[in-house]
Amino acid sequence: MPGIRVMKYMPLVWAALWRNRTECLLTLLALAIGFALFTTMIALNAAYEASIADARMDRLFITRRFEGGGMPLSYREQLARITGVTAVGGQLWLGGHEQDERHRILVMFVDEGMPAAWPELPLSQADWRALETTPAGIFLTHKAAARRAVTRGDVVTLTTAPGSRADGGGTWYFTVLGIVPDPPGWGQWNPDLIIGNLRYFEESSRLDERSMVNSLRVSVDRPEHARAVCREIERRFTNASVPLNCVPARENARELAEANINMRQVSLGIGAAGLFMILFLWANGMAESVRERLSEFAVLKTVGYGDARLALIVFLEAAVPTVLAALVGVALARGAIAFIAHLAVKGVINIPEMRALPGAFGLALAAALLIALVSAVAPLRRIWRMDVGAVVAGR
Amino acid sequence: MTTLSALRQVLAASMVSIGSLRERYGTALVIVIGMASVVGVLTSMLSLTDGLTRAYVSPEDTDRAVVWAGGATFDQSRSLQRDSIGTILDAPGIARGPDGTPLADAEFLMVVPAVEGFADFSLQLRGIGPAGFKLRPAFRVVSGRSFYPGRQELLAGVGAAKRFGLSLGSKVHLPDGDWPIVGLFTYRGEILESYLVGDAETIMTATRRHGFAQVLAQLVNAEVYPKFEAWLTRNPALAVSVERETDHDLRLLGPDTAFFAHMAYLIGGIMALGALFGIVKIMHAAVRTRTREIGTLRAIGFGAGSVAVSVLLEAGLLGVLGALLGTALAWLVFDGREMWVWGSFRLTVSLHLLALGITWALVTSLLGGIFPALRAAKLPASEALRAA
Repeated sequence: MPGIRVMKYMPLVWAALWRNRTECLLTLLALAIGFALFTTMIALNAAYEASIADARMDRLFITRRFEGGGMPLSYREQLARITGVTAVGGQLWLGGHEQDERHRILVMFVDEGMPAAWPELPLSQADWRALETTPAGIFLTHKAAARRAVTRGDVVTLTTAPGSRADGGGTWYFTVLGIVPDPPGWGQWNPDLIIGNLRYFEESSRLDERSMVNSLRVSVDRPEHARAVCREIERRFTNASVPLNCVPARENARELAEANINMRQVSLGIGAAGLFMILFLWANGMAESVRERLSEFAVLKTVGYGDARLALIVFLEAAVPTVLAALVGVALARGAIAFIAHLAVKGVINIPEMRALPGAFGLALAAALLIALVSAVAPLRRIWRMDVGAVVAGR
Repeated sequence: MTTLSALRQVLAASMVSIGSLRERYGTALVIVIGMASVVGVLTSMLSLTDGLTRAYVSPEDTDRAVVWAGGATFDQSRSLQRDSIGTILDAPGIARGPDGTPLADAEFLMVVPAVEGFADFSLQLRGIGPAGFKLRPAFRVVSGRSFYPGRQELLAGVGAAKRFGLSLGSKVHLPDGDWPIVGLFTYRGEILESYLVGDAETIMTATRRHGFAQVLAQLVNAEVYPKFEAWLTRNPALAVSVERETDHDLRLLGPDTAFFAHMAYLIGGIMALGALFGIVKIMHAAVRTRTREIGTLRAIGFGAGSVAVSVLLEAGLLGVLGALLGTALAWLVFDGREMWVWGSFRLTVSLHLLALGITWALVTSLLGGIFPALRAAKLPASEALRAA
């Protein structure tokens, strides 16, 4: 059986690797860090890709064609009558600072149409009901809650310029109704997400600020209708008091990703550099190891080991450390990913949520085997071409 | 042992060590390539932040200041009212033109409606006043002509024209109709080349806006800034914020560059750690291979310190060679390459990055060389010769 045959050679392989323990351990550490970097970069790339893939094509994002100010909330009804539109929801951002002026806070108020227009928001049916019955309530994502160290029942304040409220004040009080998951891909553009009830803003803001929203979210019946519905929306509102601009959410996410630093390409480039480092280090290590032990291989050839068996031994010698390093590297990458996520929560860096991915583990393993294979080629050529007599004689 | 003879010993031991690299070129190359990868990635990533900073911030602009409405946290709030502008222009320290008028200009900023296929906020329009061109002597219309004040026409920066496929005669849709591009301009390769420029008053009339975004002021010199700032911020008739233009641009740019710089140093650190273990391993193997050589040196009177320093120098030299190779590769591949991050700019692999790369590599390789160097120093001459 092949498995048993492989295990038969393991003591030989192990003895070869372990003959210089210090150097073996140092090589393993260097390889493991290379694999940790590679896995982390794959996970980072996947997080950025997911931030685009998670934005759906059948969700439309509608803003003013010409910037500045808001758009009438009453547009909802007109939009709902367009063929292909299944739901419309309004959203409005209110920005200010918390008790400490240096801490910015941004609340996204949404209306009752949003559960249908943007069902990907991480609120359950019960959460929506809670928001409806407690208009001054807010939901914070894990990231937003962790940054402010708040839990359910706490009060969060948002201070704006005096006179921004109908009562003449500038402080808004919110009760935390719950902590919800961070939407995938959200962190790339805004560090955290706080969701409130638009009705609360409508009832508490100055009269001249009411009945306006910053943007509308529209859900369409089929993704392939998205562009046509967008064109129709823009056409109908060309001569309106506030002309509209419409873009499918996925295209919007892709355009934003391309307008910013392209972390998708960068992460792949760094991952490739990490692999190149590993390959060069290990190919050299293997070549050196085989060169120092040529006489051992000559003896093995003399006692009847064929080229295929020697190839298997050399490949195992190359693969055991790389696979071990890949396993350690993946474990280290989990730590690195958790650390990067922590930095994101603290606001040091702004990236989409990263997760340890099974796919990244598989890629690391495949890369380990490929590096082992490439590293074994040159030493094997040397073994196959050696003059056994000369090597045994020490010439 | 005198200092001179110690130095001679270090030099001689290093020559022997470096001379033997010919027999160990494979392992030496691993250090060079490893460090080249580390430094190459680090400098390539930082070339982006360097390029962005150069596009946004001109160090010579420390004698210019930006004034905007107090409380507005970003410069497109357009809440600087017309009646405040005259007071701001009266502030002490503002330079005067040959005709005696202050070299300061009230500007209007806005985002042009999204061009299809590009993200919202991609194309920006800067409205300037009569002093706008005087404040920017390097501003050159390279094709077509400048706009006439009062007419609905625009200039496009060469970066914006390239990115959005604009040329002379192209139309830009604004609230009051389609405005033609009548000229293309350059401006020191700075971020302004990624914008459209037009007459502030005409744009404000068309967009029905009353407030300016900011006043850009040329000061007599950089030293008058504190007085200028104090006069404006303490003036009870005004509620404004003031910053030197360089500080203002750096603050606006900060979140973009800080994120990428954090990532670059984090990744550079992880890669350097991997390379560090590789260097320890390789230098450890090198000391093992050179046991006879080291034993001979010790037997003829070379001190342990000289041998240790020669091992450290070898590691450092290989690290620096790697840094030079990595920076050279980054320079060849990325330097001058045009990029777009909310504006056009060129990646820059500067001398500052070369110095950073060399320092990064030197520290990593010297740290990696310490353990093997100590091992070499501890090798007793008799045992070393016997082991060989």
